[in-house]
Amino acid sequence: MPFETATSTKASAIRPGALARIDIGRARIAVANVDGVFYAFDDACTHEQCSLAEGDLEGAKVICACHGAEFDVRTGDVLAPPATEPLRVYPVRVADDILHIEV
Amino acid sequence: MAPAFVIVGASLAGASAAITLRKAGVAGSVTLIGAEPEAPYERPPLSKAYLRGQASFDSALVRVPAFYAEHGIATVLGTAASRIDTDRRFVELVDGRRFPFDSLLLATGTRVRQLTTSGASLQGIHSLRTVADANRIRAEMSPGRRAVVVGMGFIGSEVAASLRQDGLDVTAIEPSKTPLYRVFGETVGRRIAELHRVHGVRTVFEDTVESFDGDQRVAAVVTKNGRRFGCDFVVAGIGVEPAVGFLDGSGIHTDNGIVVDEYCRTNLEGIYAAGDVANHYHPVFKRRIRVEHWQNAMRQGAAAAHNMLGEPVIYDDIPWFWSDQYDWNLQYAGFHRSWDQLVVRGQPDGNSFLACYLNDSRIDAAIAVNRGLDLRRVIRLIKARQPVDPRRIADESTDLRQIAA
Repeated sequence: MPFETATSTKASAIRPGALARIDIGRARIAVANVDGVFYAFDDACTHEQCSLAEGDLEGAKVICACHGAEFDVRTGDVLAPPATEPLRVYPVRVADDILHIEV
Repeated sequence: MAPAFVIVGASLAGASAAITLRKAGVAGSVTLIGAEPEAPYERPPLSKAYLRGQASFDSALVRVPAFYAEHGIATVLGTAASRIDTDRRFVELVDGRRFPFDSLLLATGTRVRQLTTSGASLQGIHSLRTVADANRIRAEMSPGRRAVVVGMGFIGSEVAASLRQDGLDVTAIEPSKTPLYRVFGETVGRRIAELHRVHGVRTVFEDTVESFDGDQRVAAVVTKNGRRFGCDFVVAGIGVEPAVGFLDGSGIHTDNGIVVDEYCRTNLEGIYAAGDVANHYHPVFKRRIRVEHWQNAMRQGAAAAHNMLGEPVIYDDIPWFWSDQYDWNLQYAGFHRSWDQLVVRGQPDGNSFLACYLNDSRIDAAIAVNRGLDLRRVIRLIKARQPVDPRRIADESTDLRQIAA
């Protein structure tokens, strides 16, 4: 049963256009700020598990720095290979500047 | 009658073209012909994750095998083309079957250069191009076995890394001063040599194989300088050459591969080439280049398909590839053969740096070690062909996105 976790990360610490990595238990989650809206997804690229938080964010597209795979952070859809499997995405809510993520 | 699209070569470039034709909703038949028995697959894992048993073959497939029939792509696998009749416009396979075409794409890739050294036909001497080759090498791999890798280009370097990661005893022999010396030069090459030594590869530079010794099976490698390395098997990575033998007498112009223009067109109407086999006119570098890497196969195959459909697309992607070795993610972008200035961002003796190869203050190419983001950002500067200030490139406080292109 998924449940929401209040992280120790402040939303204001992640600027628009920026990525951050947040660990929730054993889950490695990446968070993207797309024009003030936050999206959470698995940090590990589905191609070869590189950290997506260390990649680039262009609009709502995250680009893996290792091999160039691209995903839509809103849906997890693959936008460019070499990845073929979509990313898992998680609901995000901001309350009192704290990011809550449902993992 | 609906046109017949025929693609010779069922690897990434060919599959990418076939998929692009169908995505565009083309009427007519699409036939994908390949020499290997497997459905189209990607080769990068063969020297890395697949070789180490960490990735399945299925994960390397371009599409699941059922995809092709479901999308109206006829696959003819396990049989190579033997000739093209460009007057009567058909492809003939080695088993005599003929496939008429209206539009033809040649994407036959490369074949490995053969060793001519004494003893090269002994058992236990392998090369690596296909999944069948990779399976033969995998069958040799168990911890403690002794391997000699001949050649430290990309394939040799990646195989050496994979073998060491699986606990084999590895000796690597390379005629140049360093791995990848011709492409990257001494500064970067020495760093790659050190990476392999730190991980326990016995590296032998400026020496070549004189002979392979053994009775039926290879048991030792003897070098020109008189060194002798006992071994259980050998992997040779001494390069590849374009697979164009079947074009003899076809009238299709070849010169270091199949010569094509920026639209992937050969000298003959309705006949195109893409991928490793294509010696393609690159409008950014204003010369022909032939690229043996994943991105080129995928993207150029797709571009060729658009041109086959009469939707002109100039293929001008900057060549880019990666080579993962141990914990290094190495990436290269651009095209260079020589340089008048090497500009390094970060410490070349460390595990994270970007090295740019410049001519006349323009960046022709760059290699990144564990710096994929910097590399991505420099591709724009490579494409722009504008002079850059090398101090700003080297200055880590400069955001490469802020440099005018």
